[in-house]
Amino acid sequence: MKKFLRSREALITGLLILLILFTGLFNSNIFKFNSITEIFNASLTLVLISLGEMFVIFTRGIDVSVGATTGLAAVILGTTLNLGWPIEWAISAAIVTGILAGMVNAVGITFLRVPPIIMTLGTLGIYRGLMRIITGGSWIENLPQSIKEPNLWKFAGIPFYVWLTLLVIAITAWITLKYKPARYFYAVGDNEQGAYILGIPVRLTLFAAYTLAGFFAALAAVVFTSQIGFVSMNAADGFELKAIAANVLGGVSLTGGIGTPLGAAIGALFMTAVHSMLIFLGVPGIWDNAFAGVILLTVVYIDYHVRSALELQRRQARIRGDASLKGGES
Amino acid sequence: MRIWENAMKSADSANANKPPGNVMLELRNVWKVFAGVPVLKGINFTLAEGEIHALLGGNGSGKSTTMKIISGAYQLDDGEIRLYGKPVKLDSPKVAHDAGIYMVPQEPHVFPHLSVLENLGIGLDFSPAELRTRVEPLLESLGFHADLEEEAAFLSIAQQQLLEIVRGLLRNARVLIFDEPTSALTFRETEQLFERMRRLAAQGIGLIFISHRLGEVMEIADRVSVLRDGVMVLDEPVGNITPHDLVRAMLPESSDNVTGEEKRERLEPGEVVLEVENLHSEAFSDASFKLRAGEVLGLAGLVGSGRTELSEAIVGIDKHAHGLVKIGGTALNNRSPSICQQHGLVYVPEDRHAHGIFLDLPSVYTITAGILDRLGKWFLSSEAERSIGERFVDAMNIKLTSIWQIAGTLSGGNQQKVVLAKALAGEPRVVILDEPTRGIDASARQDVYRLIRELTRQGVAILLISSELEEVVDLSDRVLVMYRGRLTEELTGDDINLERVTEASFGLTAEVPA
Amino acid sequence: MNWTRYLRTWEFALVVLLVVEILILGMINPTFLNAENLLYATLDFTHILFAALPLTLVIITAGIDISSVSVMGLASITLGLAWVAGINIFVALAIALLVGIIAGLFNGFFVAKTDVNPLVITLGTLFMFAGIAQGMPALLDLLGFKAYGSAGLAAYQYEGITGLPDSFIGLSEATVWIIPYPFIAVLIFAVILSLLLHKTRFGRYLYLIGVNPKAAVYSGVPVQKTLIWAYVLSGFGAALAGSYLTAYFTSARADLGGDALLPIITAVVLGGADILGGSGTIWGTLLAGLVLGFLRQGLLAIGVTNDLIQVVMGAVLVTAMAVKQLMNVYGEYRLNRKALANKERG
Repeated sequence: MKKFLRSREALITGLLILLILFTGLFNSNIFKFNSITEIFNASLTLVLISLGEMFVIFTRGIDVSVGATTGLAAVILGTTLNLGWPIEWAISAAIVTGILAGMVNAVGITFLRVPPIIMTLGTLGIYRGLMRIITGGSWIENLPQSIKEPNLWKFAGIPFYVWLTLLVIAITAWITLKYKPARYFYAVGDNEQGAYILGIPVRLTLFAAYTLAGFFAALAAVVFTSQIGFVSMNAADGFELKAIAANVLGGVSLTGGIGTPLGAAIGALFMTAVHSMLIFLGVPGIWDNAFAGVILLTVVYIDYHVRSALELQRRQARIRGDASLKGGES
Repeated sequence: MRIWENAMKSADSANANKPPGNVMLELRNVWKVFAGVPVLKGINFTLAEGEIHALLGGNGSGKSTTMKIISGAYQLDDGEIRLYGKPVKLDSPKVAHDAGIYMVPQEPHVFPHLSVLENLGIGLDFSPAELRTRVEPLLESLGFHADLEEEAAFLSIAQQQLLEIVRGLLRNARVLIFDEPTSALTFRETEQLFERMRRLAAQGIGLIFISHRLGEVMEIADRVSVLRDGVMVLDEPVGNITPHDLVRAMLPESSDNVTGEEKRERLEPGEVVLEVENLHSEAFSDASFKLRAGEVLGLAGLVGSGRTELSEAIVGIDKHAHGLVKIGGTALNNRSPSICQQHGLVYVPEDRHAHGIFLDLPSVYTITAGILDRLGKWFLSSEAERSIGERFVDAMNIKLTSIWQIAGTLSGGNQQKVVLAKALAGEPRVVILDEPTRGIDASARQDVYRLIRELTRQGVAILLISSELEEVVDLSDRVLVMYRGRLTEELTGDDINLERVTEASFGLTAEVPA
Repeated sequence: MNWTRYLRTWEFALVVLLVVEILILGMINPTFLNAENLLYATLDFTHILFAALPLTLVIITAGIDISSVSVMGLASITLGLAWVAGINIFVALAIALLVGIIAGLFNGFFVAKTDVNPLVITLGTLFMFAGIAQGMPALLDLLGFKAYGSAGLAAYQYEGITGLPDSFIGLSEATVWIIPYPFIAVLIFAVILSLLLHKTRFGRYLYLIGVNPKAAVYSGVPVQKTLIWAYVLSGFGAALAGSYLTAYFTSARADLGGDALLPIITAVVLGGADILGGSGTIWGTLLAGLVLGFLRQGLLAIGVTNDLIQVVMGAVLVTAMAVKQLMNVYGEYRLNRKALANKERG
């Protein structure tokens, strides 16, 4: 419990609650049940993309193509649906698209040894281009009701997709904590050389991380398409950067090896909530980006100071530990 | 050389009448090349069951490379490895582990953000509960006390090493390699480690022991091999050789005096150029001393005693230290390497690759890195750079094809000379040399010693930090000994001898602070 | 020095690539072989060059600046608003460039004073600068600059600020003989940056920091100051790019340059800079920028759609990097084979 209170998840949750309370001072509508669920509902796409990005960042990598992957998967979903495919087939096609897109990144990074930022920047262009080539540049509209329907489902007053996303977060959290190969993501990011020496399949782990990023991006595409009801050509544009920001906010460090799915999800919720808060406060939406940027910078700046202090403490502890060990000889 | 003789006695008793077991591991004519530079030139090596086989050699000699090849981290370029007579291909550490080979590396592989238990079990197929039941007796027998759920970032160096040993034991290794395991350990920890090693050997496990401490080798090993510049120059049972044979094997020129020269006569010490008063940080305390022009002040002490931390505090890399530092009479409160350089003090760091050299750039870029302001007011003059570079290459006998040769392709000794040239290019009045001869070959060593003498003749003051106590004894006019973060002793004149320095380094003469 | 040395450089390979590319495009469409047309075509991607050239310096230090695409919009809207406020257009231009420098200072300080990954920092400022650019008109209204039109400055939010004076707009089209002003500016900028990078202490420091930042500190290199200047130059280049786009599109907008990130980084990386730091040249970046720019122009000219071009550009980036990496591995392999073959003699 004490550990949790000192964690980044706690910090960001606290900030989020403060933000909601502050907004509530000016507009108490935010405390309504519907407002809260709406904020959750609006954050789902980013939450899912961020969860995928998280695996990549665990390994000390980066994937800036996830937004484009979501867009591409959404286009495949919309196109196949309008071709009359049954919804299960269309969703499967979208998911496979995401996985394939992630695997292309994985091949370039693990086998061709292209630096992750370069590889995924390249595929960002490729996937965005493909989106437009497939659709001819026009939006995909008139989607069948079957895909829009789930967005209206509610259980206990809470939208189906919120439940679904919570389930995904829970599964991911359980896996990263308890399933041993999932710990490899942390190990590779923490000490890649050591991981290799100790027999961890480093390349396979990296491969899996980028593939998972693609898979989650596709999952996000399904939720996104269902919620919006159409696919625009700039669908999920810029979400790659928001997903990275969400992870950093939630304590998933770009230096690898640190973070939790809960942190990544709360980070993403935070990024979206800022937008909703500003609406409740009556601030024009144009200030969204500025707020997101300032918050991200503030959090990493605070984190830098916390880490510096912790590092000093750790160093002192280690030196004291050594001294006490050596004390044993006299 | 008393410590060696003592070691000899114990070696005799330990190794008496021990029949060699079956040969388990054999290296035949193994070659390894890095970036076009051969590092191993056709070496042979064998290890028998229950044998402790020591491998000696300087850091650039290829012993770490040999061990990485045996443990699967590197692949050999030519030759073969046989296990129990059968040729094997150790493609990866995993394959080597499965074949029963495990290396306890010099720098333990720690995952700072995983728990200690996870660190132990990583790469193994045990469930957490099963792992715990297997690990606990091992920890108990090794005397390893740590919270298994805590993050591994908090482990001390000695604990990290135990962690690696446990990893090897969990894998039921038949061949255990210890890569300089004692360099960061205390006397008692070393003794405990040796006890454990003997017990493992008694179980039939073959141990390879890498060290540069002759006394330890004579004490623990059954057999010893010496690598020099990628060639195996000696391979004998310990009973057949003396420590002097080992020294002779490691140095091409046989000479009993490490520095190859008689002790120089003392010059009249000049004015005080560096004054340190009451300097302290979390790694050391109450450091006070004066250094005079033309003087070599040796700073001896074990690894981890705080020597490097002290010098980093002096030059302002560690900003958390408090105390007074005067360079050339000027008190400097807010120090940084560049400010110290402006006042005539330079620091040649211990870790050449991490802190000294720019490996991917032309060698001359390292030499001139600290004095670029002298290469022209606005634009760097390549003419001036070339002349400075070539002057140092000549003066220091640096072997390279041109000053534009990429520094990473030079040999270790020449890289070290390039780093020294960088320090001297600024014509300093005070030079702090931290382990200046670590891992370089004998002839480069002699060049470094000559250089130190030449500098003092010119009135430069030198603070010489070294683990090679012989080096400290032979070169220093005065010796300070650091023990557990304190300057415990100052030796002058005839007191500067190996026995006194060794005893003081291990805290045997000084009172131990509570 | 043997001149054949230059034939083996990456820059020379890019020159060959550029010539071959122009010849191929010329075969398809002869108008490409006309120098005037070629030079005119550079106007389409001059902003990429302005931003990519100084970004090279940042990447040499093993850093990155992705906020430059936001600085473009920020500089553009600043320029426009200053002009609307009645300031002389060239003074407005100076203010816009100053804004770029301040943005660079912010990035530089953050990078130099903390150990936070430059990608995270410039990601934060990417959002922040874009947000400031979008919000600036409304902010000025709030601050009481209501005098300009009934809808206030916020009216410029979406349609941008048009009607800028010809003395400024004309700069983007004017030529000396057949060479457009903006291209001359690119060349001057490249010469200055190249002198800085290859002939001054500052430039040397950039390489030293990129190769081994710790050794740079130990050697007394002023690491923080050098980093700050590198990011300032990047901010300045981005502001130059934003100002240029304003003149080129005859409209000041907050979202100008938003899609330039991919081509900018592609130009630097294809130009030979290592994203991990320590290598890269200004001329390499310039040549790579031209290769990519003409490739785009040529593909457009033969009727390839913009969408497909984006795919091609992404593929070029990935392929170039993969080839480079594999060549490195092969190069080392060959070197080692050679040493082994010589072992009897050695």
